[in-house]
Formats: sequence, C-alpha cells, structure tokens
Amino acid sequence: MLSFILRRLVSVAVTFFVVSVVIFVMMHSIPGGPFDAGDMPLPPAVRERMMAQYGLDQPLYVQYLRYMAGVLRFDFGVPFQSPGETVVSLLASAWVPSLVLGGLGVLIGAPLGILLGMAAALRRNSWVDYLASAVATLGLTVPVFVTSMLLILVFAVWLGWLPSSGWGEPRRWILPIAAYATIPMATYARYTRSAMLDTLNRPFVTVLRAKGLSERRIVFGHVLRNSALPMVTVFLPMFIGTATGSIFVEAMFRIPGLGSYFVSSIRTRDYPTEMALMLMLTVMFCLAYLISDILYAWLNPRIRTGGRRE
Amino acid sequence: MTAEIGLAPPAERKRRRERSPLWFAWRRFSANRAAVVGGAVLGLIVLMALLAPLITPAGPNEQAFLRNAYEGPSAAHWFGVDDLGRDFFTRIVYGARVSLSIGFAAAFCAVLIGLPLGALAGYYGGWIDWVVMRVIEIFSVVPPLLAALLFGALSGGGFWTIILIAGLFGWVQVCLLIRAQVLAFKEKEFVRAARALGASPGYIIRHHLVPNAISPIIVGFVLAIPLAMMLEASLSFLGVGVPPPTPSWGQMINIGTNFMYFYWHLAVFPTAALAVTVLATTLFGDGLRDALDPTLKGS
Repeated sequence: MLSFILRRLVSVAVTFFVVSVVIFVMMHSIPGGPFDAGDMPLPPAVRERMMAQYGLDQPLYVQYLRYMAGVLRFDFGVPFQSPGETVVSLLASAWVPSLVLGGLGVLIGAPLGILLGMAAALRRNSWVDYLASAVATLGLTVPVFVTSMLLILVFAVWLGWLPSSGWGEPRRWILPIAAYATIPMATYARYTRSAMLDTLNRPFVTVLRAKGLSERRIVFGHVLRNSALPMVTVFLPMFIGTATGSIFVEAMFRIPGLGSYFVSSIRTRDYPTEMALMLMLTVMFCLAYLISDILYAWLNPRIRTGGRRE
Repeated sequence: MTAEIGLAPPAERKRRRERSPLWFAWRRFSANRAAVVGGAVLGLIVLMALLAPLITPAGPNEQAFLRNAYEGPSAAHWFGVDDLGRDFFTRIVYGARVSLSIGFAAAFCAVLIGLPLGALAGYYGGWIDWVVMRVIEIFSVVPPLLAALLFGALSGGGFWTIILIAGLFGWVQVCLLIRAQVLAFKEKEFVRAARALGASPGYIIRHHLVPNAISPIIVGFVLAIPLAMMLEASLSFLGVGVPPPTPSWGQMINIGTNFMYFYWHLAVFPTAALAVTVLATTLFGDGLRDALDPTLKGS
C-alpha cells in the first residue's frame, strides 16, 4: 500500500512539472502582454521599465526558473492587477468562499444524490425513479449557470425570499450552495442507481433472499457495500465538475472566490496569478486522483498489487 | 419485446423476420417517450433556426425598436425588446442558429478526428493503438470545460475558434466508440475473406469496417452536439466565446443577469432556450444510442 502511494506521489510530481511547463509556455506564447497599449496607454520607456521590473524582458526559461524557484518557497509573485498585494494573500482570501460554498454544496448534494439513487433503484419505475432520472439528466446536461439562473429567478426575483448575489451573511449562501449541490446530486443519483441495480441483479442477492434475509439487511448489509466501488470512481469526475462549476457559480452569484479570478487573470495576462491558479488546480486534481485511487485500492484488493486502474 | 415475438403465431413470426434492423431501431426509438419528445423539440428548434428570417420582424442585429427598448413581452414582440432595442425573439431564434451550427460543426469536427483515429487504432492495434490510447488518456485526465476555458480565454474566442475547441474536446468519445466497433468486426469472416482475396487494409477499413460502424458514428455525432452547445454557451457566458453582436444564448444570459430584477425577460428566455435545446438534444441522442445499439446502453 505504501509503495502504491509513493508511486502515485511521484507521478503527481511529474504531472505538476509537465503542467507547469505547458501552461507557462502557452500563457506566454499567445500574443499580447500585461502592459499592452490597449488597456494602459504608457510611453514605451515606462512600459519597458515595468517589463524589466517584473522580469518580463528575460528569456522565457529564465522567467520560468525564477517563477518555479519562487513557488518552491511558496512565493507566487505579485499580481500585476494589484501590485500592492502578493498572489498568495490575494488567493488566500479567495479560498474561503469557494471552499465553504463548494464544500457545503458537495456535503449536501452527494448524500441527497446517493439517497435518491438508492430509492430509485429499489423502487424501479415509480415516481422516485422518474424524479431521480429527471434530476440526473438535468444536472448532468444543463450547464450549472443555467441552474443558478433558474434558482435566482424563482427564489430571488419572483418569490423574493433570498438575496440573489454576494457573500457575507449565511442567508446569501443558500442559493449558491443549492446551485453547487446540483452537480454532485445529479452525478451520485445516476451512478448510485445504476450501481445498485447492477448489484441487485447479481446471483448472491437471490441467494440472500432465498436464505430468508430481510430486504433491509440485504440492502444495507450487502448491496450497498458491493455498490460502493463505482460510487468511489465517481468521486473524481464529481470533484472536477464542482471545481469547474465554481467558475460559473461565482460569476453568477458575484462571489469573490477562486473561480472568479480564473478568467479575469487570463484576460488581463496577469501571469503570476494565472500560473498560481493553474498550479493550485493541478495539485487539487492530482490529490483528488490520489484520494480516489487510494480509496479504490483500499476497497478493492484485486487491483492493489497491480497499481494501475482499469 | 422478445417475449412478444416469442408468443406471436408462426405466420406473424415469419413476416416479422423480414423486418430490417432499421425498423427495429425505429420501434425501439419510438417506444422511448423522452427521446421522441426530445427529437420533436429539437426538430422544431432546427426548423425555427432555418426559417429565422421568415418568422422574425427584423434582423438579429438591427436596433429597429430603440424606442421600445427594455419593453416586456407583447403581441408585437413575443419575447420583448432587449437593452439595445433589438427584438428579443429574433435574438433568441438567431441564437439557435449560432448554437446549433456550432453544435453540428463541432460534432462534425469530432467525427473527422475520431473516425480515422478510432478505425486505425482498432484495425492495426500495436503501436498505433498505444499512441492513440495514450492521447485519449491525456484528454480524459484534463477536464474539458476547464481546458476549453483556458484556450478560449487565451485565444479571445470567436465562432470558428469555439468550433475547433469543441471538436478538439469532443472526439474522444467518438474515437472510442468506433475503435470498439472496428475491434469487434475486424476478425469476422467477411473481413477475413476480403483480406484473403487481397483487399488492402485501407480498402477493408473504408468498405467494410467503417460502413459497419455507422451506428456508433451516428451515436457519437449526435451525443457530441449537446456537449459542444454547452461548451459554447459556457464560454460565451464568461465572455470568452462568441463575441457580440453575434447572438449567443450564453452571452445573453450573462447580460440578462444585469437586468433580471427589472427586465426579467432578458434573463428568462435565453436561459429557457439553452436549457430546452441542450436537454432535447441529449434526450434525443440517448434515445438514438439505445435504439441503434442496445449494447451501448447505460454507459
């Protein structure tokens, strides 16, 4: 198990390196820079000084090495858009809304989705089943900003029960959390249902029924445990979906979170902020991979020695 | 369904044996109510997009109703008038054109990339298959929406750029579907016979394997459409997709958020249009997949 985790950590480091190079090169190879004439009418001499000040006149590999040396000391540079701060302090305050809202969304949405999927599998072709597949289809096909918009229109504009945007008192959290929750809810409803149906059709369930076990013990003691594996697999896409969704949810609800910086930093060519965000996302995704792999290996001894999934 | 066939009297059975696979596919499809409704709605939207100039009062970018700007829905303006004095129904209908053409073009791109790669990987195996599968692995690790956002933001968006980006992130599924089909067929007797008769690999792929993979190709194509439409809307929503004044639903939703408390129609109609279209296309595609190839069901 330990060597399995170690191997995975090495691959995380390699991924981190590759992604950092690719993003860095991509970022700089696109025409345009942070101090272009379009946004900032500066005399050429001033622009050159600013470029030199931020080291942007250096060859690309020097810039890369400098930046990565800083990253190792947990120094992600200074955001061009607000030079009075550091990227770390900027993003440190942006973490909180994303983590609170996204985290609560997953914590509420995933159990609801699992319950819905279970109910749907146990009562096939009942109204619960139809509800579950409607929720799953809607949540998985309609973009999250559309769901957010519908939530805002109904609960903020028409009914006037809740504020539509902002960050602050918990009343403002309710709608964004609901929007976030649709992603894990839809994912888990669909996969729990199909995993449970798969297990329910296996011969050992018939044997358990023949032995006279109560339906409750069959479901909770056996079927659920045997359906857990596919549900763990879903963790990763669900996590990625939620993280990507945060860009849209935060844009919709005007929340000053991490996602809101994603597009703005790319558009203003704010290299340090952009790089820091991308690296953070990479680490997050790699960790999510690692966790789901470890859970997978832990739950399924058959693949533990192979070290490879699939 | 099979039970029905089993119970039918012998004469009936003989007649049914003559039915073509397409007939059974159609029967399976029409039994799926959600798919039929999805297909009908999609057909209606396609029709509206095609007939756009005939059913709308003005061009999509014409500020013909500046004096009525922000006006709510009425008999003259079904969906109201937008902030710049353009008939909003017109904008929505032309938005369907943009959304659908990007969806179809991107799906076409996806098939264009996925079909040859899938066929080659499936037929030759070996190192070609290895390379293709590694590329697919990379694409499956990178979250498509995020990467597309990055590309969109870096390139500044644009109609054709979005099609390329959506095609680039849509071919994987098509490729896998076709590869699986080719793998299943390449050792069948008729392919061996063709090989024994001296047919070249290229001939076998083009004349035997690809025609036999027609249903996964159609399924892959149709399923790629809603994904591309969603991608376009998402990018346009964040302002890195199709730039104004080209009407795009995602972009309209973004603008609509500024006015939703005062002019609700600017937010409601693009949201509804996008949700209905993506949903209808997905339901139609899922139904088509189940009807054309029941073995793919539940993936």
